[in-house]
Amino acid sequence: MVRRESGSNTRVGDVLLEGKGICKDFPGVWKHLILNHIDIDIRAGEIHTLLGENGAGKTVIANCLSGFYSITDGQILVKGKPVTLRSPKDGIQHGIGMVHQELALVKPFTVAQNIALGLSVSDFSYPIQEVRERVKALSDKYKLYVDPDSRVEDLSAGEQQRAEIVKVLYHEPEILILDEPTSLISTDAEHLITALEHMAGMGYAILFITHKIEEALQVGDRITVLRLGKNMGTKDSSRTDKNELVRLMFGEHTPVHLERKPVKSDSIFLEVKDLDAPSTNGEPSLRDISFTIREGEILGFAGISGNGQSELAEVVAGLRKVAVGHVYIGGEDFTNRSPGEIIWAGVAHIPEKRREMGVIEPMTVAENVVLKDVHVAPFSKNSFLNIPQITQHTEDIVAKFGALVSDLWKTETRILSGGNIQRLILSRETWRKPKLIIAVYPTQGLDAKAIEFTWQLFMELREHGTAFLLVSEDLDEIMALSDRIAVMSRGELVNIIDGAQAKREEIGLMIATGSSRQ
Amino acid sequence: MNINFFWGIFIGSLHAMVPITITGTGETIGESAGLFNIGLEGILLLSAMTGALGAEAGGALVGLIVGAATGFTIGLVFGLICTYFRGVQLIGGVGINLFSAGMVAFWLIHLGVPGHHAVAEESRMVDISTPYGSLSPLIFVAIALPIIVYFILFRTRLGLKIRAVGENPQAADVAGIKVNLTRLFSTAVGASLTGLAGAYISIDWIGSVTKEISAGRGFIALATVVFSGLNPLLVLLGGFIFGFFDNLAVWIATMPAVQKVVPWQFVAMAPYVVTLLIVAGVIGRVRFPAAMGIPYERE
Repeated sequence: MVRRESGSNTRVGDVLLEGKGICKDFPGVWKHLILNHIDIDIRAGEIHTLLGENGAGKTVIANCLSGFYSITDGQILVKGKPVTLRSPKDGIQHGIGMVHQELALVKPFTVAQNIALGLSVSDFSYPIQEVRERVKALSDKYKLYVDPDSRVEDLSAGEQQRAEIVKVLYHEPEILILDEPTSLISTDAEHLITALEHMAGMGYAILFITHKIEEALQVGDRITVLRLGKNMGTKDSSRTDKNELVRLMFGEHTPVHLERKPVKSDSIFLEVKDLDAPSTNGEPSLRDISFTIREGEILGFAGISGNGQSELAEVVAGLRKVAVGHVYIGGEDFTNRSPGEIIWAGVAHIPEKRREMGVIEPMTVAENVVLKDVHVAPFSKNSFLNIPQITQHTEDIVAKFGALVSDLWKTETRILSGGNIQRLILSRETWRKPKLIIAVYPTQGLDAKAIEFTWQLFMELREHGTAFLLVSEDLDEIMALSDRIAVMSRGELVNIIDGAQAKREEIGLMIATGSSRQ
Repeated sequence: MNINFFWGIFIGSLHAMVPITITGTGETIGESAGLFNIGLEGILLLSAMTGALGAEAGGALVGLIVGAATGFTIGLVFGLICTYFRGVQLIGGVGINLFSAGMVAFWLIHLGVPGHHAVAEESRMVDISTPYGSLSPLIFVAIALPIIVYFILFRTRLGLKIRAVGENPQAADVAGIKVNLTRLFSTAVGASLTGLAGAYISIDWIGSVTKEISAGRGFIALATVVFSGLNPLLVLLGGFIFGFFDNLAVWIATMPAVQKVVPWQFVAMAPYVVTLLIVAGVIGRVRFPAAMGIPYERE
């Protein structure tokens, strides 16, 4: 550890951390090398962004460089000297601090307790007072605004993120690795980036991981692109552009053009009429909601989450009770029917909470893929599973979305990345060509290529006659897909407008004011 | 009925409280670290046996030490299986119970009257005499221990470490804590307290060993830990509640008027039912470590 306050002997531009020919494999889990001879260096005073799509190996290299994972081959050098990192503690001792994507905080503890946990002090001491004071000092110095006495579980995602950064800074690292720090804090990202730029200016070497190209360009001084465990090149951000980065990330491909023909059918598939649903746990209660969706029509619900969109999706999926009003599916009254009956009426659901509601995490990938179809031919016969059929089907589904899975019957779904789980759910819910798809934040956490693929797939299904109830915070997604756009505010429907004529500003204003009048 | 009668019930309750409270306090340490040891009953039983043999060989103090060492050894094996070897905790715990039941039954065949081994009077613990009755020194241990453990769990870095490996082992690992070692240590220390409680039963409180000597107290201790929400101070309270009803039941069951009408086995059931009712009544509000029962692997 070098004490920055006592005058550091490093200069801007010095290479502080370097990886040479780093290889990593997970024998028994994955057949290919997760990291394939990666060379990377991080210099004092710069923000180096590491860009790549889901499964490119970004998190793995960060974990290797911080000592959390051991490396299979290659060398890590700190200030030119080779080091062996056996644990995160070794990393910290060499001045490397890492902010994990799944934050490494103990939720029931306060921020100060979380920091005290990692200090090299006697087991029987309790240095909370000292930690509290230093957290306040650090939080002022770097403008991170963290209250040491708050319990982590009471903090917002952005606050938790900053608490994690303070925890890492407490050890006075010279090298800071941040794994997708903006994925949890879409609205608060500017604040974090400003703080990081401030720190780079003070001489820190920062490795910033992201899958967003614009963010990589905005934040990074240099950008390294990773694709399937290989380094595709390191570029100065002033001498590269979006097109080049897209090519490096995904290889050559032409961007899609979404074509939307008019809705062919006039027959209404989903009708929600005068619907009221009470709130639970402080979520908004739904009041007086009526709308229809025709076959082959996409109705997009735009706006900030927490205004009742998720609750509405749950009502249609049968997961939430209706107090007043009716839900008609295919002309039949399905109000307060069970989720099972609604599924069998041809409704698919891509839920908001993918890990909790979308899959059963400890079960294997193959089991999760046939979860909804396991009781019908050809996947089972006379109550026995037809393993070859299920395997075949799972392979098709996984290949279709390009999800990376090794052994379908051995890989627990839990170990897949969020993006890969979303691909699995998307393919499971769409392969039967359902009559209605309830899609809640369907492309959240996916990289650009997978988003394009999903949009195209939705368009094909729409062509085929599938109706969509789409919920998204991404206005681009709403505008690209929706035939009509709905806006909700505090559990009520503000307005539904025609998608073809909708203007961004108009929708933006409806979302912002919660009213349809200007 | 005079005042001495109430003192009798009170002191009896304290004695019946000791095994529950010491066992429960130990288990609180282990559960805080994420290990749920359903084998407490077996540890109590086995260490009642080994404690008695130890006491007869070298005196009461040696007996207590042998009992605690028995618990520590079993806790170590259980802990190794459930951490480094990523075994299933439930199976490990059931294994302890079966092993101990068999072992003690086997030993009892060879010691004195088959099935019942009375601990020699000179090997038993010497209790402290008071005007209201004699008190076991372990009553003071049973009261002090939860307070000490509470302090360690909630007011020291060691306690933060133990609770962190139970709640979020990955975060603990990132903070430089040896997750499996901390878990192993916690469950082994917890089990050694259970061993101490087992030795207390045979060489201090009851004074004999039978294969039913633990009488479900290990399971009641488990239930008390649940009721406490891993707070050792509430374990102390829960232990006293059980001890009180346990003692009351013995007194009721032996009243001649009751004996004629109700079989004593029925009355003896009361403390278990009451304790379980109390536990069941509050269970919804209790929150357990998030990583309870799940082995940890870094990569």
